[in-house]
Amino acid sequence: MSIAAQTDSCPRQPIVTGTSVLALKYKDGVMMAADNLASYGSLARFKDIQRLHPVGKYTVIGAGGDMSDFQYIQKFLEQLIIEEFTSQDGHDLGPAQIHEYLSQVMYSRRSKINPLWNSLLVGGFKDGKSFLSYVDLLGTTYSATTLATGFGAYLAQPILRKEVEGRENELTEEEAIRIMESCMKVLYYRDARSLDKYQLAVITADGVKISESRHLSTTWSFAEGIRGYGAQTQ
Amino acid sequence: MADMVSIPHSQPQQHQFNPYTENGGTILAIAGADFSVIAGDTRQSEGYSIQTRYAPKVFRLTDKAVLAVNGFAADGNMFVKKVRQRLEWYRHAHAKDMPIRAIARLIQTMLYSRRFFPYYVYNILGGIEEDGTGAVYSFDPVGSYEREACRAAGAAQSLVQPFLDNQIYFKNQTPAPGTSFPGHLSLSTVLSLVIDSFTSATERHIEVGDGLEMYIVLAKNSPSIQSLRDIRGMSELTATEDGERVFVVRRDLKKD
Amino acid sequence: MNSFVDQFSTHSPTAQLKRAQKLIAAEEDDYSDAAWGSQAGFGGMIKGIPAFKVPAVADPTAFLRLHTDDHADPNCRIKIQHGTTTLAFRFKGGVIVAVDSRATAGSYVASGTVKKVIEINPYLLGTMAGGAADCQFWETYLGMHCRLHELRNRERISVSAASKYLSNLVYSYKGMGLSMGTMICGWDKTGPAVFYVDSDGTRLKGDLFSVGSGSTFAYGVLDQGYRWDLTDEEAQELGRRSIFAAGHRDAMSGNTCNLYHVKEEGWDFIGNYDISKMYYEGPGDVPGAPGGGYGYAIRTEGRSAANPPPS
Repeated sequence: MSIAAQTDSCPRQPIVTGTSVLALKYKDGVMMAADNLASYGSLARFKDIQRLHPVGKYTVIGAGGDMSDFQYIQKFLEQLIIEEFTSQDGHDLGPAQIHEYLSQVMYSRRSKINPLWNSLLVGGFKDGKSFLSYVDLLGTTYSATTLATGFGAYLAQPILRKEVEGRENELTEEEAIRIMESCMKVLYYRDARSLDKYQLAVITADGVKISESRHLSTTWSFAEGIRGYGAQTQ
Repeated sequence: MADMVSIPHSQPQQHQFNPYTENGGTILAIAGADFSVIAGDTRQSEGYSIQTRYAPKVFRLTDKAVLAVNGFAADGNMFVKKVRQRLEWYRHAHAKDMPIRAIARLIQTMLYSRRFFPYYVYNILGGIEEDGTGAVYSFDPVGSYEREACRAAGAAQSLVQPFLDNQIYFKNQTPAPGTSFPGHLSLSTVLSLVIDSFTSATERHIEVGDGLEMYIVLAKNSPSIQSLRDIRGMSELTATEDGERVFVVRRDLKKD
Repeated sequence: MNSFVDQFSTHSPTAQLKRAQKLIAAEEDDYSDAAWGSQAGFGGMIKGIPAFKVPAVADPTAFLRLHTDDHADPNCRIKIQHGTTTLAFRFKGGVIVAVDSRATAGSYVASGTVKKVIEINPYLLGTMAGGAADCQFWETYLGMHCRLHELRNRERISVSAASKYLSNLVYSYKGMGLSMGTMICGWDKTGPAVFYVDSDGTRLKGDLFSVGSGSTFAYGVLDQGYRWDLTDEEAQELGRRSIFAAGHRDAMSGNTCNLYHVKEEGWDFIGNYDISKMYYEGPGDVPGAPGGGYGYAIRTEGRSAANPPPS
């Protein structure tokens, strides 16, 4: 079977993958976090991959899942922004439009049984309003004040909801950073495909800012004391 | 040394991509003499995870038709989008809204055009017929449909439908001697039944809860408007004057 | 593989794939001008068979089987309604068509009010067994073509021609997963006629058919009571009694019975009868009914010590 035929009819599987992406709404806008790891199966293959990507002036997308598909998404969104810019019609794409476009692409690819193997968060701030939504390889979409993909949906989302729900309009950037850091730490302790190096993106009225890589300080001394499961039974 | 690196795609898990998932929730519609109530909860879930507490499943199509979709959310949203597009085309061509029985047939052909790659969506269409009567049409995923007086679909279908059969059709009930069952239920009775259905489904089904949206479609000059006066948290969505009227009522459901 | 055979075969996986790819190129949103006009949904179809979207996989049929309820796997997500008793028979007074009204999805009774007699036009009836949507859709579609036949030929289509149109149509989809077992009933120049058509492509002319999971029970009563010279009342009663038997003994059939009688002037809807009610009280005051319930316990009440009369 030729390679063309293979990609045509048989769905591939993710090869180089990223893990969870977290996001929350706070007082000034939206904050998103993702670590810098791209895994090759269980191998921690690339440890300086950026999984948060700005699109236009008001939006950041964060991706889990296949990194090559994510690069392809970055490429066509870049093209979209350029086309929109060249038309010079006074309209520019906000996070809602980018999310809608992305949803249509994701859904039509799933309908061709040739999905883009990602879970994506789209966060943004435009015209005084925050925006935060999810879309995945099936074209499933939803929005909420806190979102998490991958393992984050199980490990971080409960913490995010507890810390953020009902306080979206009072949380400061400092508090948001602290919440994100604690969630990333939980993920690093339990998600075997995660890394202690991550980036934060903030999207506010001032535009998009993606931080330099940050380091999580963790302690493992307690591990010595763990008994009763795994290889250590005594 | 040959086994140092395990290559992921050499593993024997050659699984097929599954283009469907199930997003839980329940929808329900009841037709009255000159009104129709279409309701759905707002929880969206996958497996044991709640994805969001507010994702609408009920959509106003026109002033006389409301569509509720349940099953695979992505298919549902896309389907509603395409139905709305066709209704807009109809409006441009005929300068009027498509009658509900025509929308029902349209939905059948749209669902059946995907007979070999179905939309995984259960549809319930509610609204007002051209003769002013309340109508409910229910569909299976590939387009078989029927007009009914009431229908529940989705995760808690098997909990809600028997309750409705008992309370709407008076199934397995015998009227007390010398009395008879009412011919038509009033709007306030129907709304209470809908709220009770969803609070009960929320208690006993993990995929149901968070919020409830009830759309109410009233026939032209319907006296049932009276019973809407004292309904808390109601807002009107009617677009045209002197015709059918559409309202939505939102309620909280338990979030656990 | 023999590529020449492949190229011209209609049922090989490659042929189906080719057909699928061609259809995807067209896509379902390739709406014609009809979408703007009053022809609405069926608009484009009159020109030919409508375009269906087919999943872009090597074997679309296996895909459909995997995701829909093809009687083998009741656990899959998309449930297509199943389970039925339908019957139709020819006699000197026309055709009797009787059906139950239950639709099941696994062990759940999805509906008890299904209309399993499809009124194709005022003188043709079709029955529904198997996929509800398949029957509804294609028999509606058949109705359109019957009307076109009238307009083109200045006369009504024969039951034979109508049923053959349907059987040729479903045969062109053979192997794609359609599921229907139907009886096309009517009255034409040749008199009353019944044709059995199913999704395998079978088409049979006959006097008496019953289709569905409860058909064996219906046949039992039907064969026992059938004669060509039945009166109208006797024939209607036989149809009703046969559906009652199936509704009583087959778990997948029941709720109510819909009865139709096709005469020379077209079909008549005779009535809707509750099957539980027929057990205890019978069909009510209708011509041909013996009076009293059909139920064994009711008929034999007071005849033995084990079944004494109510005190």
